[in-house]
Amino acid sequence: MTLLQSFKNLVRSKSIHVAYVDVGSCNGCDIEVLACLAPRYDIEQYGIYVHNNPREADILLVIGAFTPGWEEKLLGLWEKIPDPKVAIAIGNCPISGCVFDRPHSLIDPPVSKHIPIAAQIPGCPPRPTEILKAVLSLAPTVFEDFERRTQ
Amino acid sequence: MKKTVDVSIPLGPVHPCFKEPARVKCETKGELVLNAEVELGYMKKGIERIMRGRPWQEVMFLAERVCGICSVIHNMVFIEALEKMSSIGVPDRAAYMRVIVNELDRMQSHILANFSYCYTIEHETLAMYLLDIRERVMDELERITGARVTCAYIVPGGVRFDLRNEDAAHLRAGLDIIEREITRYMKMFEGGPLIALRSRGVGNLSRESALEAHAVGPTARASGMPESDLRTRHPTYKKLEFVPVSRTEGDNFARIMIRFQEVLQSINLIRKCLDTLPDGPIRGGGIPGGGEIAYSGEAPRGELSYYLKTDDAGRILDISIQTPSIMNIEACCHYMLKGVASIADVPSTFVSADPCIACTER
Repeated sequence: MTLLQSFKNLVRSKSIHVAYVDVGSCNGCDIEVLACLAPRYDIEQYGIYVHNNPREADILLVIGAFTPGWEEKLLGLWEKIPDPKVAIAIGNCPISGCVFDRPHSLIDPPVSKHIPIAAQIPGCPPRPTEILKAVLSLAPTVFEDFERRTQ
Repeated sequence: MKKTVDVSIPLGPVHPCFKEPARVKCETKGELVLNAEVELGYMKKGIERIMRGRPWQEVMFLAERVCGICSVIHNMVFIEALEKMSSIGVPDRAAYMRVIVNELDRMQSHILANFSYCYTIEHETLAMYLLDIRERVMDELERITGARVTCAYIVPGGVRFDLRNEDAAHLRAGLDIIEREITRYMKMFEGGPLIALRSRGVGNLSRESALEAHAVGPTARASGMPESDLRTRHPTYKKLEFVPVSRTEGDNFARIMIRFQEVLQSINLIRKCLDTLPDGPIRGGGIPGGGEIAYSGEAPRGELSYYLKTDDAGRILDISIQTPSIMNIEACCHYMLKGVASIADVPSTFVSADPCIACTER
């Protein structure tokens, strides 16, 4: 690995854009992601910028069990995100469907059937610190040796 | 003469300003919004269908997950409906504890709604102040109930945990700080020339339109309908001599201000509860039986109604939930968004009605 490459790795891991998409949750995980913005947790001090624009995102936070309304839309959204990209599933819903995975419900978990998921954070809902820790642990690996991987 | 073409502009479902997926279609003439329409259907999970045929012990946790923001009130209304149906009594201490937890939940919900509004109009300073003070409310909620969001605190015949003396002292100290800060932020919002310009006179909802659209909660109370507060009918709130607040302007500014006022009102209610909190047991016991009931309570967003039908074993045969957001979304897209001067005001007006898509679609 060249010196330039290792410098790039270091700098890029400190600048991560995050988008979140709610594919049918109860809102509980949603507000815990929002709470990460709060000055107490302050996600922006690590260079992570949370907004909702998939076109400039690096990490996609997927919240909620998969509902039929998202059947074709989630994949389209995932394709809009430029490479390199990873998706993190937040809460029990995208992993297993949580309490909603019962007979006669409309949902279709897990989300990993529809888009590739890199990390999962269990909890109903997980605490903001856990979400922060997962994003931070993935941040260095998103861009790592991106040039060499794409050659 | 220049021809103005009518354009239909869709906002959403994934939009930087919306927390949850909803699509707002605006028909515009130039910048003026002529008509707006909300397209839902991204969050439908079919909770009511899952609930049918299950024992109440399971449905209790499902009811809480109808909405993650106002989970305490869903829990409270469902359990109080069961209690009223099977005539189960609640000890005095537990009744007051329910009010304390419910008001804390209302505080965090209102502060979150005001945070989203300030974030949408790009006043990030005030938004971050509000989100910081919300964490303090969440701390108090967690100290009492043991969880931040879905706490399942209220059970038939009482509450799950007692309030310890050190928690009560911590709560009182926390309330002092929250009251001081919220008063300061309220002054910032009321007196700030930029925020006021961006909010006053935008998204008007008159009292007549609010009545026509069946608006509920803070949205209705900002248009001069104090009678829409169902807390006045709750027995414990009656003991606390609760009087709802209201404003008459009916614009975005009034809707945000009424939430600030209600947060201060909730602080006073919790203080009153702590002062009058009697000693005694927190759980009276009792098992829900069969019956049929319709019961409603005041959620942070407005009137929340449950219709329940159970058999003798306590299994839910039929359930229907009416959540407040659906009426407020109707009021928002048919009355508030009509005639909004600029498309840039559409997200902020939509957020000012505090729509909760998760409870709307369930």
